[in-house]
Amino acid sequence: MDTQWPRYEVFKQDSPHKAHEAVGSVHAPDAEMALLQARDVFVRRPSAVSLWVVPETAVFAITAEEIAANPVPPLPPIATHAQTYLVFTKTSQRRSMTFVRHVGEIVAATPQIALQLAMESGRFNEDAVFVWWLVPESAITRSEPGDIDSLFTPAHDKTYRQQSYYGFVSPTRNRK
Amino acid sequence: MQSDPVDTDRLQEFETRIARGEKIEPGDWMPDEYRRQLIRMISQHAHSEVVGMLPEGAWITRAPNLRRKMVLMAKVQDEAGHGQYLYHAAETLGISREEMLAALLNGRAKYSSIFNYPTLTWADVAWIGWLVDGAAIKNQTMLAHCSYGPYSRAMVRICAEETFHYKQGKEMIVHYMSSGTPKQKAMVQDGLNRWWWPMLMMFGPHDTDSPNSPLLIRWGIKTKSNDTLRQEFINEEVPELLALGLTIPDPQLAFNEASGSWEIGPINWDEFWQVVRGNGPMNAERLAARQQAHDNGLWVREAVAAYAAKQQA
Repeated sequence: MDTQWPRYEVFKQDSPHKAHEAVGSVHAPDAEMALLQARDVFVRRPSAVSLWVVPETAVFAITAEEIAANPVPPLPPIATHAQTYLVFTKTSQRRSMTFVRHVGEIVAATPQIALQLAMESGRFNEDAVFVWWLVPESAITRSEPGDIDSLFTPAHDKTYRQQSYYGFVSPTRNRK
Repeated sequence: MQSDPVDTDRLQEFETRIARGEKIEPGDWMPDEYRRQLIRMISQHAHSEVVGMLPEGAWITRAPNLRRKMVLMAKVQDEAGHGQYLYHAAETLGISREEMLAALLNGRAKYSSIFNYPTLTWADVAWIGWLVDGAAIKNQTMLAHCSYGPYSRAMVRICAEETFHYKQGKEMIVHYMSSGTPKQKAMVQDGLNRWWWPMLMMFGPHDTDSPNSPLLIRWGIKTKSNDTLRQEFINEEVPELLALGLTIPDPQLAFNEASGSWEIGPINWDEFWQVVRGNGPMNAERLAARQQAHDNGLWVREAVAAYAAKQQA
């Protein structure tokens, strides 16, 4: 049995007042296992208060280069079945551990419309965006506040995982 | 490279973006050769993390005390996580994790030659931390600057975590050399004798024998050559090793006042290529261990899938 399980994108929040950021992905048969996998892969150190996982197929991702090559088509006349999309953007070329960051919500019928509304809204600094992700809120599975003790707190005691635990190690400097 | 005029324009635009310091992200146009080289490098890198668990994992049950055991377990867990970060980065280029794992298990894929050497004593765990992870960090710090966004991000995350690996190894060597017994000191020296040269080989062939390097540097995948990185590492670590009273197993090692560099004797590239081609001391055992782990994990995969199916029913 080697069939590859679906991929889930993982978003991590480092403290209650910071945005969730895309950190990578895991493979799992369902969202519950994906959350556990995400904890093992991305939270071995004390820097998380919340995790979200989203099936990769639910993510609408588009780069500024793709938008420039194929401008977003005009809005269809009637928008039915509107739902909430979470908007994520990448706005920096600086080196980082994280990819796109959660910046807000848009209600729309499709991710393409959500993108267009987001770009026209003026809320998301659209000229500075290199990558957009639109994710339907209904596709997100979140860790619960009650999970914090079991999922994230144990990492706090494992101080030996932190390089600061070892201080400065240098035989040449010590001799001076 | 490409002869299609459309592609020539796109290639120019692509190279302009890289020259501006922009990151190429999934979805952006990239030359086929850029994609191919990245898949090759990232998947080899992922395999190295995964196989890299084995030499040290062998010592978890024999760690000298509980603290060292917890540190070693944490480190080996990190290597597993690093493999996952990297498989993810490679997946964004259109290869599946399944294809990559199959290539590792059937022996087609390569991984760092260093992990085909055995860990004979506890000191080898310390040397892997200091020198092997140190050399890896050198390479990974460079790759953190690379032009492909997902690879760069994996490298930033890995470097931050890997620094703990380097420090715990170095701390151990410093401890044994400053307050250890004569037997411990001899064990440390023996480890250095065996790991020094294979560690220097980790940086890869000399620049003159590294045909991919110019293109990789042009496209911002690598930013420094193999020999440059190797020399930087030698210059950083040799004074530290000598300060501990250790003997580096290279009679030709000498400091060149004019260049300010430590110059080494010739590297045995025959040995390097033998190991790369599968004839190292531990190649067969490493692959057998991976296959065994894969087979032994079957019931877990089945159980997890059965549970998920039941939840959905």
